[in-house]
Amino acid sequence: MTEIRLEGLKKRFGSDMAADGIDLKVESGEYLCILGPTGAGKTTLMRMICGLTEPDEGRVFFGDLDITHLDTAERGATMLSQTYALFPNMRVKENVLFGSWIKGWPEEESQQLARNILSMMHMESRSKAYPDELSGGQQQRIALARALASGSRVLLLDEPLRALDARLRLELRKDLKGMVKAMGLTAIHVTHDQDEALEMADRIAVLRAGRIIQVGTPKEVFEDPKTPFVANFVGRSNMIQCRVVSSTDGKVLLESEGGLRMEAKDGGHSPGAEVLMAVKVGNTKISTTLPGYFEGRVEKILYEGATITVEVMVKGLGLVYSKLPNRKFDDFREGNTVSVSWSPNKAKVFDIPEGGIEYEIRVD
Amino acid sequence: MAMSLIDRVDDASSKRGVKRAWLILVVLIFLVLIILPSVYVLFEAVSQWDLISGVASDSGKMAMIWGAVGNSFSIAFIVTIIDVIVGIPMAWLMVRKNFPGKRYVDTLIDMPLAFPTAALGFSVAIFWGVPQGLDVPGLGIVLSPYVLVILLHLIFTYPYMVRTLSGILEQLDPNFETAGMTLGASRFTAVRTITLPLFRAGLVTGFILCFARSLSETGGTYIALSLIGKQSTFFTGPTFISELKHQAGSQAAMPELILISVLLIVFALLMLFVAKMMMDKVKIPWSKVWPKFERRISRGLAVKMRNGLSSSFLALFIIIPSFFIFSFLLIDGPLPDMAGLFKAMGISFLVAGAATAFDIVFGIPMALYIARNKDKSLGKALDMLVNVPLIIPTTALGLSLFLFWSSASLPGLVLVILGHISFTYPLVVRNVIGAVEEVDPSYEEIAKTLGAKPFQAFRKVLLPVIQSSVLAGSILAFTRSLGETGATIAIDPTINTVPIYIVNLINKFTEFNNPDYAYQAAVASITLTAVCFVLMLAVKYATRRKLGGLRHD
Amino acid sequence: MPHIRLENITMRFGDITAVSDIDLEIRDGEYVTILGPSGCGKTTLIKIVAGILRPTDGKIFVDGKDVTKVPLEDRDTGYVFQNIALFPHMTIRGNAEYGPKVHSVEEGQAESTADEYLRLVDMLDKAGHFPKELSGGDQQKAALARALASGSRMLMLDEPLSALDARVRMELRYEIRRIVKRLGITVLHVTHDQEEAMSVSDRIILMRKGRIFETGTPLDMYRSPKSIFAAYFIGETNLMECTVESKRKGGGVILRLRNDVPVNVSKSKANVGEIAILSVRPEHVYTATDGLKAHVRDVVFMGTYWRVRTEAESQDYVDYNIPADSQVPEIGEEVYLVFNKKASRVFKRPKEGLTEAIKLE
Repeated sequence: MTEIRLEGLKKRFGSDMAADGIDLKVESGEYLCILGPTGAGKTTLMRMICGLTEPDEGRVFFGDLDITHLDTAERGATMLSQTYALFPNMRVKENVLFGSWIKGWPEEESQQLARNILSMMHMESRSKAYPDELSGGQQQRIALARALASGSRVLLLDEPLRALDARLRLELRKDLKGMVKAMGLTAIHVTHDQDEALEMADRIAVLRAGRIIQVGTPKEVFEDPKTPFVANFVGRSNMIQCRVVSSTDGKVLLESEGGLRMEAKDGGHSPGAEVLMAVKVGNTKISTTLPGYFEGRVEKILYEGATITVEVMVKGLGLVYSKLPNRKFDDFREGNTVSVSWSPNKAKVFDIPEGGIEYEIRVD
Repeated sequence: MAMSLIDRVDDASSKRGVKRAWLILVVLIFLVLIILPSVYVLFEAVSQWDLISGVASDSGKMAMIWGAVGNSFSIAFIVTIIDVIVGIPMAWLMVRKNFPGKRYVDTLIDMPLAFPTAALGFSVAIFWGVPQGLDVPGLGIVLSPYVLVILLHLIFTYPYMVRTLSGILEQLDPNFETAGMTLGASRFTAVRTITLPLFRAGLVTGFILCFARSLSETGGTYIALSLIGKQSTFFTGPTFISELKHQAGSQAAMPELILISVLLIVFALLMLFVAKMMMDKVKIPWSKVWPKFERRISRGLAVKMRNGLSSSFLALFIIIPSFFIFSFLLIDGPLPDMAGLFKAMGISFLVAGAATAFDIVFGIPMALYIARNKDKSLGKALDMLVNVPLIIPTTALGLSLFLFWSSASLPGLVLVILGHISFTYPLVVRNVIGAVEEVDPSYEEIAKTLGAKPFQAFRKVLLPVIQSSVLAGSILAFTRSLGETGATIAIDPTINTVPIYIVNLINKFTEFNNPDYAYQAAVASITLTAVCFVLMLAVKYATRRKLGGLRHD
Repeated sequence: MPHIRLENITMRFGDITAVSDIDLEIRDGEYVTILGPSGCGKTTLIKIVAGILRPTDGKIFVDGKDVTKVPLEDRDTGYVFQNIALFPHMTIRGNAEYGPKVHSVEEGQAESTADEYLRLVDMLDKAGHFPKELSGGDQQKAALARALASGSRMLMLDEPLSALDARVRMELRYEIRRIVKRLGITVLHVTHDQEEAMSVSDRIILMRKGRIFETGTPLDMYRSPKSIFAAYFIGETNLMECTVESKRKGGGVILRLRNDVPVNVSKSKANVGEIAILSVRPEHVYTATDGLKAHVRDVVFMGTYWRVRTEAESQDYVDYNIPADSQVPEIGEEVYLVFNKKASRVFKRPKEGLTEAIKLE
């Protein structure tokens, strides 16, 4: 069982701070997802943990051992990359056995371990195939088998599902986590896909521009974001700029620039303060009959399958989105006037971000 | 458990100190054994300046020297320009089009590389020209030596140009061009405004390689000129050096030799710098378009004519002249002294083998370092330096090396090997760099995370993947060494490699006007060619390319 | 008159048949998505429509005219590539101007047309940048402007969002739809992402192994898939093997799952006595006091709902959803499941078996 601790990691490439003071603790046996847009520094972080990149500052611990400058081969942290990197000149079986072979382990045990893992993945029949004869999903499974059979205690997954079709990803998410947990490894899985992170993680660490913004369970990160960026990145949100009017009872009354009034959860701001309010599109309710905070006109209804998204144009505010279960599809038509509302404790209030609102809520 | 030698090396490879020491060793060996000797003649010129200026003031001698140097550079330039013009359409055909028999054309293009230039010199002289006192079924056009040499140089530079251009074209995403065409541009416009500008680096590299190859060539040129009786009146830089060494022996005429070598080296390096600068500065005009005209030349007849001309050029100017030497087998004539020939083969193999072995052991680490450190200043510098022995004409390089080691009284054979190392090293290094660049660095990285030490990762993961390129580079180096004349003459003409053997026979031919000697020389050339052929076929086999295997969605 | 019509299109590469016998009609101004797993032939098909590939057999008609043999540069189609393919040596403006320029439009006019479309995609302020200085999403927007600026009335989108981050995809797909609808352009969009297809298309064409499997509006494809593959590929669904026990004249079918568990649904494509496959989407599974007994194996937070994964007494894995605020069941807890009768679908058991029928690779 290996606990991972990162202290103050910094790494600079030219003028780019890929890691800007990263502190993180991953519990033994935990499946942690690092979620962030491309360029946030996710890959650099992984590489520093497994030793392929040296940090400029800071330390990496496995358990009590400071491994910051330890050779990659000694760390026992193996990586799964989005290109799979299966050794093209070796068969599936040889790939899977690579870790034990290179470390000179007893052959009998290694072979048994490899057989077990391959059968767990229903891939024993392909053990003599070469990597280029396998499909993408199969290659990913073999790359995982190779990592699991290597005896590593830590598994680093660098966007492992990125190269696969969307539908295939859904299938593999379950398999991947299941197998990692079954082997008892500590895993850090890096991704840009919030659905993937929500589904797979025990905990999520949100990374942007080399900094960890928030760490928490999927529920915590989704329902209680610490910054507007997290509010919009992990689950789309409606963002409305307002001024605080008053607060009572844990609720705060806000007024937008256009004079519309709405409520949110009290964030400790004083009356008159300029704030940014965020409410998830899934928590934004619309109705043709019941009253709400304000009204708008249905511009478009997008059928997404299990859900629908309704675009509502509100005068003085712009477009507000509402995500509803698909059974509501027949309740609305383009051109309808609808009221928009939400439960106040589902809406969160933030300070106006320093770098400006537009930069804060950018998702790339 | 007792540790084997390999295990010890594996372990050592993870220590940072060891890695650094190894790198320093490889770089030092490169600098001391290859680079310094190659340019040493420049220093020698400075220290012997008074003797040199004596030569420089002799206008008669200078006229000959400038003539020779001028011929070398102008011929190289003309040859390269022609190569560019005919090479681009051929590279295009090979990369973008599928047609029946493509595999054979692919092999044909590389054919000239299998011929030692001595054999090519023969072939060209008897195919195009009127050889003195020889009765052969050629075209018999009386050509000036200048034109004949150009026709010869075209043959062995053509593959360099086509291969370099194909290589770059293959790496260019065809989507850019397709995007242009979806926007309404004709094929020609799209290529001119989109592909060519992105292609510039390839054109310049191809230019440099062809130019340098032409500058270097000695044996074939010498033989071709001898066969038409012009070897004492027309000179290129390298043949002038060879002739001086032939006439005057090793010590005399040293100032002249030094001066010519210096001129050749300085202008060659100058050309390299200018070409590199052109790569960044000069722009192929792509902002103006002439849609109607370019549309017309993109289609139908124009395309067929272009392809027809490229293929005809390949056949008429490259393939047929190359193979023409085999017509000698139809003539009856005396065989050369086979014992002597086989002894010469033995020496050639020894030299080539030793040079290639050195190239592999010290070239691979160099290539690995450069490929993985192209962004560091040392990596960039080494990348440039590795090209130097490729650019410097081998005859000048040989002379420079000879002077560098002159006080060390090393045996002639060792010096020749060192010389051959110098111009074959870049071939292996460039090949391996190219191969490593195409390999996903993830392979070795993941191997390390699975527990492999650096040398283990190299041995078990990278090497198997690049081994066919290592093999190809080695065979290219080997055959290059087998065919080399100029460097061997410049260093020690008594070391009887096969090309020297052939040149000696040709000298007897011109001296005694006896066609038998020419015949013997031809047979010796054919024998050497056959050996190189077999090796080249091994290269083709090792680097089997999959033509037409596309993934479809 | 349909804007684009494909008649019997087949494409062979040596021994491999990438697409076979494709008949397709796209109306003027329609947004059609071709959806399918990798290798199904969708990219080949879109390249044929654009003119990048010449089909082995069949014809293509645009506005009634046969354009099968018309060369690529004369086809009036804009194309957006998966890997973006902005010309790296030109600025964004240079890229956008390219189309007008090669159509012999004069210099000043080309620039103003380019700027007009760059403004439309909100990239005008970055017009002087080079592609490599921009993010993936911005690059793709510029590529869209470039394709539109050439004046085509047809736009081909070849997996335009696949290379981008998930969050960026979400924003950009709505942008693209908004812009093309405003301009009244006919769009053919190719993707493997069913969520993407559902949210932007007027009509979806599902492809598999070189053939068209099904077509319909997103609503139809989701609510009434005609095949198991469509039911599985578009959206999520629980698939259970069963036999049809009885059918009543006025509607109402009784199925037997494994271990003899009975289930009621409204209708079935399979006949009495046949082995069939029951498909129920997670949002149509509810817990009740009685029904299919199941044990909770896992509970996953998905944002606005929890996904509960269970193993039922019929040896099937059944997923259902509960709102994010609800009481979350314990792992191992026993629950009783009922299915929405009308929304459940019953398919005949496929000849090749269930696993083959839904295989994605």
